[in-house]
Amino acid sequence: MAYQLYRNTTLGNSLQESLDELIQTQQITPQLALQVLLQFDKAINTALASRVRNRVNFRGSLNTYRFCDNVWTFVLNDVEFREVTDLVKVDKVKIVACDGKSESTQNKMDK
Amino acid sequence: MGPKLYKSVIEDVINEVRELFLDEGVDEQVLLELKTLWENKLLQSKAVEGFHTEEQAALQAAQQQQQQQQQVQQVQQVQQVTQPAQAQQVILPPQQQQAPQQQVIVQDSKILQHMSATGMSAAATAATLALPTGVTPYQQLITSQGQILQVVRAPNGAQYIIQQPQQQILLQQQMQPGGVQAPVIQQVRPITQVLAPLQGGLPQQTGVIIQPQQIVLASGNKVQGSTQVMQAAMAQQPGQAATAQVQQVQQAQGAAAPQAQPQQQAQAQAQPQAQQPPMMLQVDGAGDTSSEEDEDEEEEYDEDDEEEKDKDGGEDGQVEEEPLNSGDDVSDEEDQELFDTENVVVCQYDKIHRSKNKWKFHLKDGIMNLNGRDYVFSKAIGDAEW
Repeated sequence: MAYQLYRNTTLGNSLQESLDELIQTQQITPQLALQVLLQFDKAINTALASRVRNRVNFRGSLNTYRFCDNVWTFVLNDVEFREVTDLVKVDKVKIVACDGKSESTQNKMDK
Repeated sequence: MGPKLYKSVIEDVINEVRELFLDEGVDEQVLLELKTLWENKLLQSKAVEGFHTEEQAALQAAQQQQQQQQQVQQVQQVQQVTQPAQAQQVILPPQQQQAPQQQVIVQDSKILQHMSATGMSAAATAATLALPTGVTPYQQLITSQGQILQVVRAPNGAQYIIQQPQQQILLQQQMQPGGVQAPVIQQVRPITQVLAPLQGGLPQQTGVIIQPQQIVLASGNKVQGSTQVMQAAMAQQPGQAATAQVQQVQQAQGAAAPQAQPQQQAQAQAQPQAQQPPMMLQVDGAGDTSSEEDEDEEEEYDEDDEEEKDKDGGEDGQVEEEPLNSGDDVSDEEDQELFDTENVVVCQYDKIHRSKNKWKFHLKDGIMNLNGRDYVFSKAIGDAEW
């Protein structure tokens, strides 16, 4: 089982919304939708691990931090994200990070 | 970040779940619909640039055709079009992006058969439709209904599809269940008449009349069911479903044009509107015949309310004040950037380190949504002071 972490992304949310619409029109069952999401989890985890190969640096000030259930949640302010190609500045960003090392606790992650 | 990653993820997921769908006995159709919905939402979010492909456009078209066998008039993602300065005869929605626009044409040409049924040449077509200068017929397409569409290229680069007022033409609007957008026609000039049949696709005798110097822009919106094309049947066929569907004009941006009012199809049939030649799309109130009734009702309603208003005056005053007071609160969010998105990074951590109040983050495999746009990284290293 892969992290369900990535469901709250543009990609994941749009998938969930689409599934919800199909459920509402009763074209699929909620059970099937869940299966789709699980499949999505696998696919996105795999894709990120294999197809993405870029580095990003960032700097900012830490507003809050939380570590609970092996999940780190940070809120940073006035952050600059720097990639080779471009620079993105934001006033506030929330970072949610699951444990990248251990696979054992992944099933519980639901974000 | 290029769209390839997302596309490949979508493909993977769709392919993997195809089996699941079949196991559950769900039609492939639904799977395609899921894919379409998914991609459309991604497109709408603008988090990724340039997402659409011809392939998918054709896929959507095939899907649409299968579902309702309706004329492919519109791709789902039609956004409101800025009104061209020139008067042009237009029916279909040009899309903002040029690439998707062309896809509409491509999509049509793939599906539709190119026939010169009436043998009209481009020049003849232009003359017939009295196209303004600069607008040249680009391509003739025939829909599955035998309707002749004229793809026209306007000087501003936008491409429109014009219906030829020749034979019986069935102009069907797509109203698909689910999240598909319905076409909206936005009126630039007040006098416009476009004919369209019922959504259900009932055969009707309608003639399309497009008067010169009239523009009908159709633009899709996300609102379902609230937009319908208003069209009155020119061919005054008694008893025929001379459907006049009024499309509610959705003015998102700077549309100065008067708005057409939605009307029920049933009303349209009964009303004499259907028999008026240059059709004036209504701007003011509901149907003509019922205007008197409305006035009467309103008068009665007002009289009853006057008494109540006096009593409720005090309460009303208080109710109004509360919202005023609530505005005193200082809101942090207003100081944030213009974008509504909360910037989120979803990732995994390799190492989180802290020394006094200096934090170091070693992250990996993340998806970021910053200022509304999506970014991806395989590694991210950051510093912050708490």
